[in-house]
Amino acid sequence: MLLAGGLARAEAALDWTAEQVRAVAAHGPWPPSPVSDPSNRVSGDAAAIALGRHLFDEPRLSGGGQMSCGTCHQAGRDWRDGRARALGLVELDRRTPSLWNVGHQHWFGWDGAADSLWMQSLRPILDPKEMAGSAAAVATLLREDERLACGYARAFGETPGADDEKLLVDAAKALAAFQQTLVTPRTAFDRFRDALVAGDRAGMQRYPASAQRGLKIFIGLGNCASCHFGPQFSNGEFGDTGVAFFVRRGEVDSGRHGGIARLKASPFNRLGRHSDDASGGSATRTRHVEAQHRNFGEFRVPGLRQVGRTGPYMHDGSLATLEDVVKHYSTVSPDRLHSDGTPLVRPLALSEPESADLVAFLRTLDAETPKLAPAPPLCP
Amino acid sequence: MRRRVALLLVLVSSPAWADCPLDLGHGTGIVIYSDRYMLALRPDPLRIEVGQPFSLIMNVCTKGGEPAELVRVDATMPEHKHGMNYAPTVKAGSDGRYRVDGLLFHMPGSWEVAFDVRPLGQAGGEIQRLTHDFVLK
Repeated sequence: MLLAGGLARAEAALDWTAEQVRAVAAHGPWPPSPVSDPSNRVSGDAAAIALGRHLFDEPRLSGGGQMSCGTCHQAGRDWRDGRARALGLVELDRRTPSLWNVGHQHWFGWDGAADSLWMQSLRPILDPKEMAGSAAAVATLLREDERLACGYARAFGETPGADDEKLLVDAAKALAAFQQTLVTPRTAFDRFRDALVAGDRAGMQRYPASAQRGLKIFIGLGNCASCHFGPQFSNGEFGDTGVAFFVRRGEVDSGRHGGIARLKASPFNRLGRHSDDASGGSATRTRHVEAQHRNFGEFRVPGLRQVGRTGPYMHDGSLATLEDVVKHYSTVSPDRLHSDGTPLVRPLALSEPESADLVAFLRTLDAETPKLAPAPPLCP
Repeated sequence: MRRRVALLLVLVSSPAWADCPLDLGHGTGIVIYSDRYMLALRPDPLRIEVGQPFSLIMNVCTKGGEPAELVRVDATMPEHKHGMNYAPTVKAGSDGRYRVDGLLFHMPGSWEVAFDVRPLGQAGGEIQRLTHDFVLK
Protein backbone atom coordinates (compact mmCIF):
# COMPACT_ATOMS: atom_id res chain seq x y z
CA MET A 1 0.00 0.00 0.00
CA LEU A 2 1.54 3.32 -1.01
CA LEU A 3 0.59 6.27 1.13
CA ALA A 4 0.74 9.79 -0.22
CA GLY A 5 2.33 12.82 1.40
CA GLY A 6 5.74 11.34 2.17
CA LEU A 7 4.47 8.83 4.71
CA ALA A 8 6.33 5.56 5.00
CA ARG A 9 5.01 2.76 2.85
CA ALA A 10 3.38 0.00 4.86
CA GLU A 11 4.96 -3.37 4.22
CA ALA A 12 3.82 -6.81 5.21
CA ALA A 13 5.36 -7.85 8.52
CA LEU A 14 6.68 -11.38 8.21
CA ASP A 15 6.13 -13.92 10.96
CA TRP A 16 9.08 -14.36 13.31
CA THR A 17 9.69 -17.28 15.66
CA ALA A 18 10.82 -16.69 19.23
CA GLU A 19 14.28 -17.98 18.25
CA GLN A 20 14.48 -15.48 15.37
CA VAL A 21 13.34 -12.61 17.60
CA ARG A 22 16.09 -13.49 20.06
CA ALA A 23 18.67 -13.57 17.25
CA VAL A 24 17.56 -10.18 15.91
CA ALA A 25 17.41 -8.68 19.41
CA ALA A 26 21.11 -9.54 19.87
CA HIS A 27 21.93 -6.88 17.24
CA GLY A 28 20.83 -4.06 19.51
CA PRO A 29 20.01 -1.88 21.25
CA TRP A 30 21.55 1.07 19.46
CA PRO A 31 23.25 3.43 20.16
CA PRO A 32 25.50 1.77 22.74
CA SER A 33 26.64 3.39 25.96
CA PRO A 34 29.63 5.72 25.49
CA VAL A 35 32.85 3.76 25.57
CA SER A 36 35.68 4.40 28.03
CA ASP A 37 39.12 2.82 27.71
CA PRO A 38 40.84 2.25 31.08
CA SER A 39 44.23 2.15 29.34
CA ASN A 40 43.72 5.73 28.13
CA ARG A 41 43.48 8.24 30.98
CA VAL A 42 41.97 10.91 28.70
CA SER A 43 39.34 8.64 27.15
CA GLY A 44 36.05 10.59 27.13
CA ASP A 45 37.71 13.85 28.22
CA ALA A 46 36.40 16.89 26.32
CA ALA A 47 39.77 18.68 26.15
CA ALA A 48 41.46 15.51 24.87
CA ILE A 49 38.73 15.00 22.28
CA ALA A 50 39.31 18.57 21.06
CA LEU A 51 43.08 18.04 20.90
CA GLY A 52 42.57 14.75 19.07
CA ARG A 53 40.27 16.39 16.58
CA HIS A 54 42.96 18.98 15.75
CA LEU A 55 45.73 16.38 15.58
CA PHE A 56 43.61 14.18 13.31
CA ASP A 57 43.93 16.74 10.52
CA GLU A 58 47.48 17.80 11.39
CA PRO A 59 49.87 17.06 8.49
CA ARG A 60 52.90 17.92 10.61
CA LEU A 61 52.49 14.52 12.31
CA SER A 62 53.89 13.03 9.10
CA GLY A 63 57.51 12.99 8.09
CA GLY A 64 56.96 14.99 4.93
CA GLY A 65 54.38 17.33 6.46
CA GLN A 66 51.84 16.44 3.79
CA MET A 67 49.75 13.64 5.24
CA SER A 68 47.44 13.45 8.24
CA CYS A 69 45.11 10.78 9.64
CA GLY A 70 42.34 12.58 7.76
CA THR A 71 44.10 12.11 4.42
CA CYS A 72 42.88 8.50 4.35
CA HIS A 73 40.10 8.61 6.97
CA GLN A 74 38.07 11.39 5.37
CA ALA A 75 35.19 12.85 7.37
CA GLY A 76 33.07 13.47 4.27
CA ARG A 77 33.56 9.91 3.04
CA ASP A 78 32.49 7.98 6.12
CA TRP A 79 36.02 8.14 7.53
CA ARG A 80 37.64 6.11 4.77
CA ASP A 81 39.07 6.97 1.35
CA GLY A 82 36.96 4.77 -0.93
CA ARG A 83 40.04 3.23 -2.54
CA ALA A 84 40.50 -0.53 -2.95
CA ARG A 85 43.94 -0.24 -1.41
CA ALA A 86 45.08 2.54 0.89
CA LEU A 87 47.58 5.07 -0.39
CA GLY A 88 50.25 6.19 2.04
CA LEU A 89 53.63 7.20 0.68
CA VAL A 90 53.18 4.07 -1.41
CA GLU A 91 50.16 1.93 -2.20
CA LEU A 92 49.47 -0.52 0.62
CA ASP A 93 48.12 -4.09 0.54
CA ARG A 94 44.94 -3.45 2.50
CA ARG A 95 42.12 -0.96 2.25
CA THR A 96 41.44 1.94 4.61
CA PRO A 97 38.69 0.86 7.03
CA SER A 98 35.99 3.28 8.07
CA LEU A 99 36.36 4.66 11.59
CA TRP A 100 32.66 4.56 12.43
CA ASN A 101 32.14 2.91 15.84
CA VAL A 102 35.87 2.14 16.05
CA GLY A 103 35.92 2.90 19.77
CA HIS A 104 33.83 -0.20 20.42
CA GLN A 105 36.38 -2.60 18.92
CA HIS A 106 38.78 -4.72 20.97
CA TRP A 107 41.32 -5.33 18.22
CA PHE A 108 42.47 -2.75 15.67
CA GLY A 109 43.83 -2.96 12.16
CA TRP A 110 42.84 -5.76 9.78
CA ASP A 111 45.28 -8.09 11.54
CA GLY A 112 44.56 -6.92 15.10
CA ALA A 113 48.17 -5.94 15.68
CA ALA A 114 46.96 -3.24 18.06
CA ASP A 115 44.99 -3.90 21.24
CA SER A 116 43.89 -0.32 21.86
CA LEU A 117 42.75 2.55 19.71
CA TRP A 118 45.67 4.67 20.89
CA MET A 119 48.16 1.95 19.98
CA GLN A 120 46.55 1.71 16.55
CA SER A 121 46.61 5.51 16.17
CA LEU A 122 50.36 5.78 16.48
CA ARG A 123 51.10 2.93 14.06
CA PRO A 124 50.49 4.86 10.78
CA ILE A 125 52.34 7.89 12.17
CA LEU A 126 55.50 5.79 12.55
CA ASP A 127 55.07 3.49 9.53
CA PRO A 128 57.58 4.48 6.84
CA LYS A 129 55.07 3.43 4.18
CA GLU A 130 52.34 5.65 5.60
CA MET A 131 53.00 8.92 7.44
CA ALA A 132 56.68 8.22 8.09
CA GLY A 133 56.75 10.37 11.20
CA SER A 134 58.73 9.94 14.40
CA ALA A 135 58.30 10.27 18.14
CA ALA A 136 60.83 13.09 18.19
CA ALA A 137 59.00 15.09 15.53
CA VAL A 138 55.60 14.64 17.19
CA ALA A 139 57.04 15.59 20.58
CA THR A 140 58.74 18.66 19.15
CA LEU A 141 55.47 19.72 17.53
CA LEU A 142 53.57 19.41 20.82
CA ARG A 143 56.26 21.31 22.69
CA GLU A 144 56.86 24.11 20.18
CA ASP A 145 53.46 24.81 18.62
CA GLU A 146 51.85 27.23 21.07
CA ARG A 147 48.29 26.23 20.20
CA LEU A 148 48.92 22.48 20.43
CA ALA A 149 51.00 22.87 23.60
CA CYS A 150 48.10 24.72 25.19
CA GLY A 151 45.65 22.01 24.03
CA TYR A 152 47.97 19.36 25.45
CA ALA A 153 48.14 21.12 28.81
CA ARG A 154 44.35 21.35 29.00
CA ALA A 155 43.95 17.67 28.10
CA PHE A 156 46.72 16.15 30.19
CA GLY A 157 47.04 18.69 33.03
CA GLU A 158 50.73 19.37 32.42
CA THR A 159 52.91 21.06 29.84
CA PRO A 160 54.55 18.80 27.26
CA GLY A 161 57.63 17.25 28.89
CA ALA A 162 60.95 15.93 27.68
CA ASP A 163 59.98 12.28 27.09
CA ASP A 164 59.43 12.02 23.32
CA GLU A 165 57.89 8.56 23.43
CA LYS A 166 55.43 9.58 26.15
CA LEU A 167 54.36 12.61 24.09
CA LEU A 168 53.88 10.43 21.01
CA VAL A 169 51.66 8.08 23.03
CA ASP A 170 49.74 10.99 24.55
CA ALA A 171 49.10 12.38 21.06
CA ALA A 172 47.78 8.95 20.09
CA LYS A 173 45.59 8.85 23.21
CA ALA A 174 44.07 12.22 22.26
CA LEU A 175 43.52 10.91 18.72
CA ALA A 176 41.80 7.86 20.22
CA ALA A 177 39.61 10.01 22.46
CA PHE A 178 38.39 11.86 19.36
CA GLN A 179 37.79 8.70 17.34
CA GLN A 180 35.76 7.17 20.18
CA THR A 181 33.13 9.84 19.51
CA LEU A 182 32.47 8.58 15.96
CA VAL A 183 29.26 6.63 16.52
CA THR A 184 26.70 6.02 13.80
CA PRO A 185 23.08 7.13 14.25
CA ARG A 186 20.11 4.77 14.53
CA THR A 187 19.01 3.08 11.35
CA ALA A 188 15.89 1.61 9.80
CA PHE A 189 17.09 -1.76 11.07
CA ASP A 190 17.29 -0.46 14.67
CA ARG A 191 13.71 0.81 14.49
CA PHE A 192 12.57 -2.57 13.15
CA ARG A 193 14.56 -4.47 15.77
CA ASP A 194 13.02 -2.45 18.59
CA ALA A 195 9.51 -2.88 17.13
CA LEU A 196 10.04 -6.63 16.75
CA VAL A 197 11.25 -6.99 20.33
CA ALA A 198 8.30 -4.90 21.58
CA GLY A 199 5.78 -6.82 19.45
CA ASP A 200 4.87 -3.54 17.71
CA ARG A 201 3.46 -4.86 14.44
CA ALA A 202 2.74 -1.39 13.05
CA GLY A 203 6.35 -0.43 13.64
CA MET A 204 7.53 -3.64 11.99
CA GLN A 205 5.47 -2.85 8.90
CA ARG A 206 7.57 0.26 8.23
CA TYR A 207 10.54 -2.00 7.43
CA PRO A 208 10.69 -3.21 3.82
CA ALA A 209 9.61 -6.82 3.29
CA SER A 210 12.72 -7.48 1.20
CA ALA A 211 14.92 -6.36 4.11
CA GLN A 212 12.95 -8.62 6.47
CA ARG A 213 13.56 -11.57 4.16
CA GLY A 214 17.23 -10.62 3.90
CA LEU A 215 17.51 -10.38 7.68
CA LYS A 216 16.11 -13.90 7.97
CA ILE A 217 18.85 -15.11 5.62
CA PHE A 218 21.45 -13.16 7.63
CA ILE A 219 20.55 -14.85 10.93
CA GLY A 220 19.59 -18.21 9.38
CA LEU A 221 20.65 -19.82 6.13
CA GLY A 222 23.52 -17.40 5.57
CA ASN A 223 25.05 -18.01 9.02
CA CYS A 224 26.36 -14.43 8.75
CA ALA A 225 25.52 -13.63 12.39
CA SER A 226 28.01 -16.20 13.72
CA CYS A 227 30.77 -13.70 12.99
CA HIS A 228 28.81 -10.49 12.37
CA PHE A 229 27.33 -10.75 15.85
CA GLY A 230 25.92 -8.20 18.27
CA PRO A 231 25.02 -4.51 18.01
CA GLN A 232 28.20 -3.71 16.03
CA PHE A 233 27.56 -6.66 13.69
CA SER A 234 31.00 -8.03 14.57
CA ASN A 235 32.15 -10.53 17.18
CA GLY A 236 35.37 -8.51 17.36
CA GLU A 237 37.53 -11.42 16.25
CA PHE A 238 39.01 -12.78 13.02
CA GLY A 239 38.05 -15.11 10.23
CA ASP A 240 39.13 -16.56 6.92
CA THR A 241 36.69 -15.35 4.30
CA GLY A 242 38.16 -17.20 1.35
CA VAL A 243 39.87 -14.16 -0.16
CA ALA A 244 43.19 -14.95 -1.82
CA PHE A 245 46.25 -14.80 0.46
CA PHE A 246 48.60 -13.59 -2.24
CA VAL A 247 49.23 -9.87 -2.45
CA ARG A 248 51.89 -10.23 -5.15
CA ARG A 249 53.47 -13.14 -6.92
CA GLY A 250 55.14 -15.26 -4.25
CA GLU A 251 54.10 -12.96 -1.38
CA VAL A 252 51.24 -13.55 1.04
CA ASP A 253 49.47 -11.45 3.66
CA SER A 254 49.60 -13.57 6.82
CA GLY A 255 46.79 -11.55 8.44
CA ARG A 256 46.04 -12.32 12.08
CA HIS A 257 49.03 -14.65 12.45
CA GLY A 258 51.47 -11.82 11.79
CA GLY A 259 49.27 -9.39 13.72
CA ILE A 260 49.60 -11.37 16.95
CA ALA A 261 53.39 -11.51 16.54
CA ARG A 262 53.55 -7.73 16.05
CA LEU A 263 51.21 -7.15 19.00
CA LYS A 264 53.35 -9.22 21.36
CA ALA A 265 56.59 -7.60 20.21
CA SER A 266 55.34 -4.03 20.57
CA PRO A 267 56.21 -1.86 23.59
CA PHE A 268 52.92 -0.03 23.05
CA ASN A 269 50.51 -2.88 23.86
CA ARG A 270 48.32 -2.90 26.96
CA LEU A 271 50.92 -4.87 28.92
CA GLY A 272 53.52 -2.15 28.45
CA ARG A 273 54.44 0.93 30.44
CA HIS A 274 52.20 3.29 28.47
CA SER A 275 48.92 1.71 29.55
CA ASP A 276 47.08 3.76 32.17
CA ASP A 277 45.14 0.74 33.44
CA ALA A 278 46.91 -0.02 36.72
CA SER A 279 44.60 -2.98 37.38
CA GLY A 280 45.57 -4.67 34.12
CA GLY A 281 41.97 -5.75 33.81
CA SER A 282 41.58 -4.40 30.30
CA ALA A 283 44.61 -6.40 29.10
CA THR A 284 42.96 -9.83 29.46
CA ARG A 285 42.74 -10.41 25.71
CA THR A 286 46.36 -9.35 25.19
CA ARG A 287 47.60 -11.54 28.02
CA HIS A 288 45.84 -14.65 26.75
CA VAL A 289 45.79 -14.33 22.97
CA GLU A 290 47.76 -17.10 21.31
CA ALA A 291 48.80 -17.47 17.68
CA GLN A 292 47.52 -20.64 16.04
CA HIS A 293 48.12 -22.07 12.62
CA ARG A 294 44.55 -21.32 11.55
CA ASN A 295 45.14 -17.59 12.17
CA PHE A 296 47.13 -17.51 8.94
CA GLY A 297 45.06 -15.54 6.44
CA GLU A 298 42.43 -14.52 8.97
CA PHE A 299 41.35 -10.88 9.07
CA ARG A 300 39.24 -8.84 11.47
CA VAL A 301 35.49 -9.26 11.15
CA PRO A 302 34.35 -5.73 10.32
CA GLY A 303 31.22 -4.21 11.80
CA LEU A 304 28.46 -3.74 9.25
CA ARG A 305 26.94 -0.44 10.29
CA GLN A 306 27.22 1.98 7.31
CA VAL A 307 28.31 -1.01 5.21
CA GLY A 308 26.43 0.17 2.10
CA ARG A 309 28.35 3.46 2.19
CA THR A 310 31.83 2.16 2.93
CA GLY A 311 32.90 0.01 0.02
CA PRO A 312 34.94 -1.41 -1.57
CA TYR A 313 34.93 -4.53 0.58
CA MET A 314 37.06 -7.23 2.22
CA HIS A 315 40.43 -6.42 3.79
CA ASP A 316 42.06 -5.95 0.43
CA GLY A 317 39.25 -4.02 -1.27
CA SER A 318 38.96 -6.78 -3.84
CA LEU A 319 35.15 -6.65 -4.07
CA ALA A 320 33.60 -3.42 -5.35
CA THR A 321 29.96 -3.68 -4.30
CA LEU A 322 27.72 -5.31 -1.73
CA GLU A 323 26.30 -7.42 -4.54
CA ASP A 324 29.83 -8.68 -5.22
CA VAL A 325 30.25 -9.60 -1.55
CA VAL A 326 27.00 -11.58 -1.48
CA LYS A 327 28.04 -13.32 -4.70
CA HIS A 328 31.42 -14.15 -3.14
CA TYR A 329 29.78 -15.87 -0.16
CA SER A 330 27.32 -17.55 -2.49
CA THR A 331 30.04 -19.13 -4.61
CA VAL A 332 33.15 -19.32 -2.37
CA SER A 333 35.19 -22.48 -2.88
CA PRO A 334 35.04 -24.90 0.08
CA ASP A 335 38.40 -26.33 -1.00
CA ARG A 336 40.05 -22.98 -0.36
CA LEU A 337 38.79 -22.81 3.22
CA HIS A 338 40.24 -26.12 4.53
CA SER A 339 37.66 -26.63 7.29
CA ASP A 340 37.63 -29.95 9.15
CA GLY A 341 34.19 -29.44 10.65
CA THR A 342 31.03 -27.72 9.44
CA PRO A 343 32.58 -24.72 7.74
CA LEU A 344 31.58 -21.27 8.96
CA VAL A 345 31.99 -19.94 5.44
CA ARG A 346 30.51 -22.17 2.79
CA PRO A 347 28.96 -21.53 -0.63
CA LEU A 348 25.46 -20.31 0.15
CA ALA A 349 24.16 -20.81 -3.40
CA LEU A 350 21.65 -18.01 -2.95
CA SER A 351 19.14 -17.37 -5.70
CA GLU A 352 19.02 -13.94 -7.31
CA PRO A 353 15.96 -12.86 -5.27
CA GLU A 354 17.60 -14.11 -2.07
CA SER A 355 20.80 -12.24 -2.88
CA ALA A 356 18.81 -9.07 -3.56
CA ASP A 357 16.98 -9.48 -0.23
CA LEU A 358 20.25 -9.89 1.66
CA VAL A 359 21.63 -6.73 0.06
CA ALA A 360 18.36 -4.91 0.85
CA PHE A 361 18.79 -5.85 4.50
CA LEU A 362 22.43 -4.76 4.60
CA ARG A 363 21.50 -1.37 3.18
CA THR A 364 19.13 -0.80 6.12
CA LEU A 365 22.24 -0.69 8.34
CA ASP A 366 23.12 2.65 6.73
CA ALA A 367 22.14 6.00 8.19
CA GLU A 368 22.56 9.58 7.10
CA THR A 369 25.16 11.07 9.40
CA PRO A 370 25.18 14.67 10.64
CA LYS A 371 27.80 16.96 9.19
CA LEU A 372 30.85 17.16 11.41
CA ALA A 373 30.82 20.38 13.42
CA PRO A 374 33.88 22.62 13.11
CA ALA A 375 36.68 21.73 15.51
CA PRO A 376 36.41 23.66 18.77
CA PRO A 377 39.30 26.03 19.52
CA LEU A 378 42.03 24.44 21.58
CA CYS A 379 42.51 27.40 23.89
CA PRO A 380 39.72 29.93 23.58
CA MET B 1 56.68 -25.19 66.72
CA ARG B 2 57.83 -23.37 63.62
CA ARG B 3 57.65 -26.64 61.64
CA ARG B 4 54.11 -27.28 62.87
CA VAL B 5 52.95 -23.85 61.74
CA ALA B 6 54.53 -24.36 58.34
CA LEU B 7 52.83 -27.71 57.93
CA LEU B 8 49.50 -26.25 58.95
CA LEU B 9 49.86 -23.54 56.31
CA VAL B 10 50.52 -26.14 53.65
CA LEU B 11 47.43 -28.08 54.67
CA VAL B 12 45.25 -25.00 54.58
CA SER B 13 46.56 -23.71 51.28
CA SER B 14 46.44 -27.01 49.41
CA PRO B 15 43.34 -27.44 47.24
CA ALA B 16 43.37 -31.14 47.98
CA TRP B 17 43.09 -30.78 51.72
CA ALA B 18 40.57 -28.03 51.74
CA ASP B 19 36.91 -28.75 52.15
CA CYS B 20 35.45 -29.44 48.78
CA PRO B 21 32.05 -27.77 48.67
CA LEU B 22 30.26 -28.07 45.36
CA ASP B 23 28.35 -24.88 46.08
CA LEU B 24 30.54 -21.97 44.98
CA GLY B 25 28.06 -19.32 46.04
CA HIS B 26 25.58 -17.24 44.09
CA GLY B 27 23.42 -20.38 43.78
CA THR B 28 24.36 -20.91 40.15
CA GLY B 29 27.26 -23.33 40.24
CA ILE B 30 27.53 -26.15 37.73
CA VAL B 31 28.58 -29.63 38.88
CA ILE B 32 30.04 -32.22 36.51
CA TYR B 33 31.39 -35.60 37.48
CA SER B 34 32.95 -38.86 36.36
CA ASP B 35 33.42 -42.17 38.18
CA ARG B 36 36.22 -40.63 40.20
CA TYR B 37 36.07 -36.81 40.06
CA MET B 38 33.53 -34.13 40.85
CA LEU B 39 34.06 -30.58 39.59
CA ALA B 40 32.11 -27.53 40.65
CA LEU B 41 32.38 -24.42 38.52
CA ARG B 42 30.93 -20.93 38.41
CA PRO B 43 31.52 -18.38 35.64
CA ASP B 44 32.76 -14.92 36.58
CA PRO B 45 30.88 -12.86 35.51
CA LEU B 46 27.92 -15.19 35.94
CA ARG B 47 26.53 -14.47 32.47
CA ILE B 48 28.84 -15.49 29.64
CA GLU B 49 28.53 -13.17 26.63
CA VAL B 50 29.74 -13.80 23.09
CA GLY B 51 33.08 -12.03 22.57
CA GLN B 52 33.59 -11.12 26.23
CA PRO B 53 36.37 -12.61 28.41
CA PHE B 54 35.29 -14.56 31.47
CA SER B 55 36.80 -16.70 34.21
CA LEU B 56 35.74 -19.89 35.97
CA ILE B 57 35.92 -20.37 39.72
CA MET B 58 36.28 -24.10 40.43
CA ASN B 59 36.56 -26.75 43.08
CA VAL B 60 38.04 -30.14 42.22
CA CYS B 61 36.94 -33.08 44.35
CA THR B 62 37.10 -36.85 44.23
CA LYS B 63 34.35 -39.19 45.29
CA GLY B 64 36.80 -41.07 47.52
CA GLY B 65 38.15 -37.91 49.12
CA GLU B 66 41.65 -38.26 47.64
CA PRO B 67 43.34 -34.98 46.75
CA ALA B 68 43.18 -33.96 43.10
CA GLU B 69 44.22 -31.05 40.96
CA LEU B 70 43.06 -29.17 37.88
CA VAL B 71 45.78 -29.29 35.22
CA ARG B 72 44.34 -27.65 32.13
CA VAL B 73 41.17 -26.11 30.70
CA ASP B 74 40.35 -25.52 27.04
CA ALA B 75 37.27 -25.11 24.88
CA THR B 76 36.22 -25.98 21.34
CA MET B 77 33.20 -25.71 19.09
CA PRO B 78 32.70 -29.37 18.09
CA GLU B 79 30.46 -28.44 15.17
CA HIS B 80 33.13 -26.29 13.55
CA LYS B 81 36.16 -28.08 15.00
CA HIS B 82 37.88 -24.93 16.13
CA GLY B 83 38.92 -23.74 19.54
CA MET B 84 39.19 -20.41 21.25
CA ASN B 85 41.55 -17.67 20.12
CA TYR B 86 42.90 -17.42 23.66
CA ALA B 87 44.91 -19.71 25.96
CA PRO B 88 43.38 -19.84 29.45
CA THR B 89 45.51 -20.09 32.57
CA VAL B 90 44.78 -22.19 35.66
CA LYS B 91 45.73 -20.85 39.06
CA ALA B 92 45.23 -22.52 42.43
CA GLY B 93 44.08 -20.11 45.11
CA SER B 94 44.87 -20.16 48.80
CA ASP B 95 41.20 -20.89 49.51
CA GLY B 96 41.45 -24.26 47.82
CA ARG B 97 39.62 -23.10 44.74
CA TYR B 98 40.97 -22.76 41.23
CA ARG B 99 40.59 -19.72 39.01
CA VAL B 100 40.69 -20.17 35.25
CA ASP B 101 41.29 -16.86 33.43
CA GLY B 102 41.35 -15.93 29.77
CA LEU B 103 38.33 -17.80 28.43
CA LEU B 104 36.43 -16.16 25.57
CA PHE B 105 33.75 -17.68 23.33
CA HIS B 106 33.87 -15.67 20.13
CA MET B 107 30.77 -17.12 18.48
CA PRO B 108 27.25 -18.06 19.44
CA GLY B 109 26.57 -21.80 19.45
CA SER B 110 27.68 -24.83 21.44
CA TRP B 111 31.08 -24.73 23.15
CA GLU B 112 32.56 -27.82 24.80
CA VAL B 113 34.84 -26.99 27.71
CA ALA B 114 37.35 -29.70 28.65
CA PHE B 115 38.79 -29.99 32.17
CA ASP B 116 41.90 -32.13 32.66
CA VAL B 117 42.32 -33.37 36.24
CA ARG B 118 44.66 -35.81 37.96
CA PRO B 119 45.68 -36.92 41.46
CA LEU B 120 47.37 -34.09 43.31
CA GLY B 121 51.12 -33.84 43.00
CA GLN B 122 51.49 -36.70 40.54
CA ALA B 123 53.04 -35.03 37.53
CA GLY B 124 52.97 -38.32 35.66
CA GLY B 125 49.62 -39.37 37.04
CA GLU B 126 46.76 -40.38 34.81
CA ILE B 127 44.89 -37.39 33.50
CA GLN B 128 41.16 -37.70 33.16
CA ARG B 129 39.16 -35.31 31.00
CA LEU B 130 35.71 -34.12 32.00
CA THR B 131 33.65 -31.91 29.71
CA HIS B 132 30.72 -29.55 29.91
CA ASP B 133 28.76 -27.87 27.11
CA PHE B 134 27.87 -24.21 27.18
CA VAL B 135 25.36 -22.98 24.60
CA LEU B 136 25.49 -19.27 23.74
CA LYS B 137 22.68 -17.61 21.81
